[in-house]
Amino acid sequence: MEIKLIKVLEIQANHLSKIIARTILLLSCTTIFGFSPNPLIHQNPKITIEHNRKVTIYEVLEIIGKQTECTFIYQSNIFKDLPKIELKKGTIEVNELLKQCLPPADYSINTTKDNYITITRRISNAFQQGNIKGVVTDSLGMGMAGVNIVIKNTSKGTQSNMDGEYNIIAHPSDTLVFTYMGYKSQEIAVRNSVMIDVVMHADATALDQVIINAGYYKVSDKERTGSISTISATEIEKQSVSNPLAAMQGRMSGVNIIESSGVPGSGFDVQIRGRNSINAGNNPLYIIDGVPYDSRSLSNMSISFGVIPLANISPLNAINPSNIESIEVLKDADATAIYGARGANGVVLITTKRGKEGKTKVTVNSSTGFASISRKMDLLNTKEYLQMRQEAFANDGINEYPQTAYDINGTWDPNRYTDWQEVLIGGTANKQNIQTSISGGSEYTQFLISGNYQKETTVFPGDFSYNRFNVNTNVNHKSNDNKFKIFFNTGYAIEKNNLPKADLSKSIRLSPNAPELYDEEGQLNWENSTWTNPLAQLEEKYKNITHTLLSNAVLSYNLPFKIETKMNLGYGITRFEELYTSPHTVYDPAYGYDSSSSSMYKQNNEIEHYIIEPQLNWKKSLGSLNLQLLLGTTFQRNNTSRLGFMGQGFPSNYFIENLQSASTIFVRNEEETIYSYQSYFSRVNLSLNNKIFLNLTGRKEGSSRFGPGNKYGNFGAIGAAWLFGDESFIKKNMPWISFGKLRGSFGITGNDQIGDYQYLQTYRVGENTYNGNIGLETTRLYNPNFKWEVNKKSEAAIELGFWNNRLSLSAAYYRNRSSNQLISYALPATTGFSSILANLDAVVENKGSEIELEAKIIKSENFSWSISGNFTASKNKLVEFPGLEGSTYANRFVIGQPLQIAKLYKLKGIDPETGLFTFEDYNGDGEITSVEDRQYIADLTPKFYGGISNSLKYKNWGLDFLFQFVKKDGYNQFSYSSLPGTMQNQPNSVLDRWQEQGDNAFMQQFSTGANFQAFLAYSQFGQSNATVSDASFVRLKSLELSYSLPLKQFPNTSCRISLRGHNLLTFTKFEGGDPEQTTGYIPSLRSMSLNLQLQI
Amino acid sequence: MKANIDYIRKIKNPFLLMMTLFLCLCSCEDLLEPETPLGQIEQAYVFSDENTATAAVTSMYGKLRDQGFISGGPSGSGYIFGLYADEIDYYWLPGFPVEAVYLHQILPSNSTIQGVWELPYSVIYSANAILEGLESTNELSNEIKNQLRGEALFVRGLSHFYLVNIFGDVPYVTTSDYTENSTVSRLSINEVYDNIVADLLESKSLLGNNFLSAERVRPNSYVVSALLARIYLYRENWSKAEIESSNIINNSSLFSLESDLNKVFLKESTSTIWQFKPQFEGENTSDGEIYIFSDGPPPFSALNPDLVQEMDDNDLRKLNWIGRVSTDTETWYFPFKYKENYFTSTSVEYSKVFRLAEQYLIRAEARAMLGDITGAKQDINIIRNRAGLQNTQTESIDELKNEIIKERRFELFTEHGHRWFDIRRTGKANEVLGPIKSGWKNTNILLPIPESELIMNPNLKPQNPGY
Repeated sequence: MEIKLIKVLEIQANHLSKIIARTILLLSCTTIFGFSPNPLIHQNPKITIEHNRKVTIYEVLEIIGKQTECTFIYQSNIFKDLPKIELKKGTIEVNELLKQCLPPADYSINTTKDNYITITRRISNAFQQGNIKGVVTDSLGMGMAGVNIVIKNTSKGTQSNMDGEYNIIAHPSDTLVFTYMGYKSQEIAVRNSVMIDVVMHADATALDQVIINAGYYKVSDKERTGSISTISATEIEKQSVSNPLAAMQGRMSGVNIIESSGVPGSGFDVQIRGRNSINAGNNPLYIIDGVPYDSRSLSNMSISFGVIPLANISPLNAINPSNIESIEVLKDADATAIYGARGANGVVLITTKRGKEGKTKVTVNSSTGFASISRKMDLLNTKEYLQMRQEAFANDGINEYPQTAYDINGTWDPNRYTDWQEVLIGGTANKQNIQTSISGGSEYTQFLISGNYQKETTVFPGDFSYNRFNVNTNVNHKSNDNKFKIFFNTGYAIEKNNLPKADLSKSIRLSPNAPELYDEEGQLNWENSTWTNPLAQLEEKYKNITHTLLSNAVLSYNLPFKIETKMNLGYGITRFEELYTSPHTVYDPAYGYDSSSSSMYKQNNEIEHYIIEPQLNWKKSLGSLNLQLLLGTTFQRNNTSRLGFMGQGFPSNYFIENLQSASTIFVRNEEETIYSYQSYFSRVNLSLNNKIFLNLTGRKEGSSRFGPGNKYGNFGAIGAAWLFGDESFIKKNMPWISFGKLRGSFGITGNDQIGDYQYLQTYRVGENTYNGNIGLETTRLYNPNFKWEVNKKSEAAIELGFWNNRLSLSAAYYRNRSSNQLISYALPATTGFSSILANLDAVVENKGSEIELEAKIIKSENFSWSISGNFTASKNKLVEFPGLEGSTYANRFVIGQPLQIAKLYKLKGIDPETGLFTFEDYNGDGEITSVEDRQYIADLTPKFYGGISNSLKYKNWGLDFLFQFVKKDGYNQFSYSSLPGTMQNQPNSVLDRWQEQGDNAFMQQFSTGANFQAFLAYSQFGQSNATVSDASFVRLKSLELSYSLPLKQFPNTSCRISLRGHNLLTFTKFEGGDPEQTTGYIPSLRSMSLNLQLQI
Repeated sequence: MKANIDYIRKIKNPFLLMMTLFLCLCSCEDLLEPETPLGQIEQAYVFSDENTATAAVTSMYGKLRDQGFISGGPSGSGYIFGLYADEIDYYWLPGFPVEAVYLHQILPSNSTIQGVWELPYSVIYSANAILEGLESTNELSNEIKNQLRGEALFVRGLSHFYLVNIFGDVPYVTTSDYTENSTVSRLSINEVYDNIVADLLESKSLLGNNFLSAERVRPNSYVVSALLARIYLYRENWSKAEIESSNIINNSSLFSLESDLNKVFLKESTSTIWQFKPQFEGENTSDGEIYIFSDGPPPFSALNPDLVQEMDDNDLRKLNWIGRVSTDTETWYFPFKYKENYFTSTSVEYSKVFRLAEQYLIRAEARAMLGDITGAKQDINIIRNRAGLQNTQTESIDELKNEIIKERRFELFTEHGHRWFDIRRTGKANEVLGPIKSGWKNTNILLPIPESELIMNPNLKPQNPGY
């Protein structure tokens, strides 16, 4: 604010000459400090009005002047507009009288001990302007810093401070415009207000949510020092996926997500910035609304294996993606260190939707669609297959087909052909989803209630489906004085999954002329025990039911001195029940079994967890330096219990799911484990001139997973950012740069993802009961000394915005090194166990570059087009491994290579003489030996990956699509196959085979395995570089075409119809089916759905 | 601390008070010391109590019964080496690792072989942990300590016996210390046997002559003798083999041959030396479960028809111990020693590990090799007569030896790999299997050390020849 000396034009005073010099001084002071009203006169004397009359202000001042010793100083014209004042007979205090005559909003009155009173009009301007004050908060009541407040149609404006407070001088006829990136801008007319408080609402239509959830605190994207990727509801809502992880695929740099199976209700493999740990867990930490969510699958391998790869059922299935407001992934040390050890593999923060102030809204979303496998393998037809078999027998010199060669010895019809892929996994799955939510609220209290039902069937023949029902409610309240706030949220989900016990994709290589599935009576056909009918597997059922309750409350209270106390309380319980029934009908009737041989396995598992996190927040401004301090502590406890039964022998298969009906019941396991966790954390954030930011975080934490003396570990990080784009040299010289930031961080996190109680030397009750004794067996090899794994992360990044952020770009380079590797050290079987948990002095490095880009190419009223893209190139490397050569890992890892490698034989080709594969003899001993000659290193780590999404809007039409791309190598169709010539179907490519001396071909001679050399060579081929091929792909991961119905006659109603697709197109050179996961399970499905969204 | 509280009083804020209290109360490590989890017990407690110490020992038998090398199930030597030799034909799904065993297409990465290697060592670990636990406790009586030590030594010897016969040179593991065990080297066959015999002799001296239970489900000194007899036979230490087998045969109050062949495999059979008690009452044997079928072609496996044809039609074992399933054109056979293939109201049959007939055959062979033709014939005739066959007419040692091997084949088929070990130790494997197994090679006399073991412990190199 500029200080101006105001010339006194007219002074009504008795002692003019004495005071003239002081007046100037006083006036200047007045102008500077005029905003704070002072008491008029210290004694505040009374004056007497003798009779009622109407007077001018000048007369009032004269009266006061006469009765007291006061002297008034004022500009002559400042009372020009004042009406006459009615004085009533009686006595009145001077202050009161002046207040009545001169409204404090318009006039400022100052006094000195010399009884000089100066009166100024607030900003001596011809217009009647006033000082407007207020606080800008977000919908959660947090003060928002840096909100732009501008008087409409002028260039005058200001910004809110750290607490969201602002001051602006405006005329009553002015309109204030509040803007903040990512939030809806608001226009508020000033009128007669002096206080204008504003609540800013996130703009769901903005592409980037600009306030970022960083876990224990929020930070504006502009000012953050850490590396955080985020997706918001707008992106999630446009996809027809049932797990939040699927919604993240291809949309975040540094985050690689692979769907482990296309069976509904299964799991995902998530890696944030590569694999840090040799074999402790590599899972990120999931936090849902502030509560850590145990991401470990509760499924028991022996029950779900077969249909669920590695028994990996994602507990996040319980979260309905359309309930999610935003997902943030914290990647670097600065962002993750506040989570200490658990943050070593990154942190995924999921924030669910909350009620918003305003009209009560009802939203209905309904979708229906179908899904199928997206790619099939090219396999031989009957003619080609039988030719292969005949040739194999001929090559082996076998003239008489053996008794068990049913496919070729005439037992089976040589003219039958069945496309087993079509029959077993070629079905169409249906997907249905309906969701309703009601939300709204007043300024002080908001609520949201939503419910969702989803059903998804499978591509297998038979009646199988995954069903989910969710309810979510939350309430947000604050007290009238804004000091006390409470947020309460609870979500409940029931999932029922009913699947066959086996993923039928394991059976697609059946002989193409294998018999009919059903006999004439509609019974399973066993063709006289000559085959195992693949549909017999469907007799065995796998079912699970999951109940998930997740509830949390956040209470906060603002103390004086800008201290906020906060308590985060969370409770969750997941009850998981799974069942596997194996009726005798799964076996060939030739066994002569009846229902007394039927069996069932049942497992009831439960995880209960709670967390208590008291926190203190303190903010302080010291001139241009702002300080924020966060202190907190965490108490967390997870109780896991497991109870498994087996029942055998049922009076009838009708009772197979009823344990009580079993003639023998056996308790397979009962255990209860506790994981407790305690830590202190703090964060100090300093900012200078809102341009330079420094963030320090520290966490001391203890975990029950370590033995005495090793329980606690210290972790911390430092992060800094410089908003160079706000510097004047940029603004002057490069005005097209609208935003510029450099940031960097370094820190240490840890890892405790090992099982519970590993340091205890115990015996456990096992299954080996004998002669009336329980089966007591050693639980594990004992190592009391293992410690925290240490993970050092560093990052440097630049973020730029051009042309008013029409184009924004960020590029980051990171390097993570984890050492003191806590690993389950593989041991030879001579130790009696396969591994022991120990710290290994090995160092694993992950480094890479990430680029995120966003461009608003066209932005007009009717048409808009924006593109955003992300790209990650990463490298994983084993840097050090002292004693690798002599260790059990000598042949699994290579220093300087990634962790995910395979050491393979190197295929040289086919010996034209013998017709057999030949391999590189690395050690030159003339023989191909399993360890020495497996020296070819295949890197199975993705080289780079990313996604490009487009969002187009034309009037009421919208088109959104995402292309995902991954460059990697993967195991191909030969890694799980048996020798071509045996009784299994083969990929078409085997037809290019050696047939006679001199031939050069891709495949060696067909053999039934009777030729041991052929068998051996093929099994080496199965472990050679030929089984790894380029599995890179570009995939149209998601697409939505939408149309919003113009409903002008119903102004508060919107209706949106959309067509969505998932995995619609895949471009790849890969021949073995789906390139995304190549482990031989049903791949991620291709789906289409029609959706309707109605909002009233 | 005091200053803290004063400070709190000044502030008088319940929130802050609460938090400070939390910080003070909970900053101790106790919170992070959860109790021992349900279903687990600390090692020290296991060996402070007779019942838990015994449970640790018997759980080794539970493991051997269900998944070990002497289990009657698909992981047992009876099935695996039945396929490997000339006893069982494979009819199950193509491409399974166990099919490679049948076809002699075993690679060092074969998972069936991995199990054959791993299971004995995991039992050996348990035995060593028990021996160490017993060593360190003062709370058990000497009587119990000796009994349990004897059993653990027996199991350790038994496990190594199978390993040495399957893989040749193997490490002899005598500690639970993984640092030592992960770098062990292989000992020569002789050294392994020396260790086995030492363990068994000590075991025999510690175990009593009476069975701890009437059902003969835990080993006593006669069980150790039975194994020693077999070992001496394999080592061609004929006189000691004769002594050990006589030790058993002579105790006629405990052991006698069942004259009725259909009673041999019943749980109360008096010819049983050691048998496994099933896990559940009403359960019978895995042997019965995996071999018996009622419809052809066999879904899983069948008895080699050559074996059946070689048996005399009057041999009662052919009639009583072999089952048959016929269609119009074909007949298939299966081992029918155990008659029950599933639950019965109470268990009827227990899986036999050692039985008396083997001891007669051991003694017959030992006596023959010692030149005691009469004694040998006596023993072999006892077995023959019981099977309804005439006395043997053979007089020469060589012929007698062949006769005994043949008799062993008919008596002990599909029991714990006897046939394979017999043709192996007598050098006949080539001659027997060469013509009938297309994959047979001379080097198949030993199985490969699993590839992953050589990778993790290079001290186990070199791989057995031929792999």
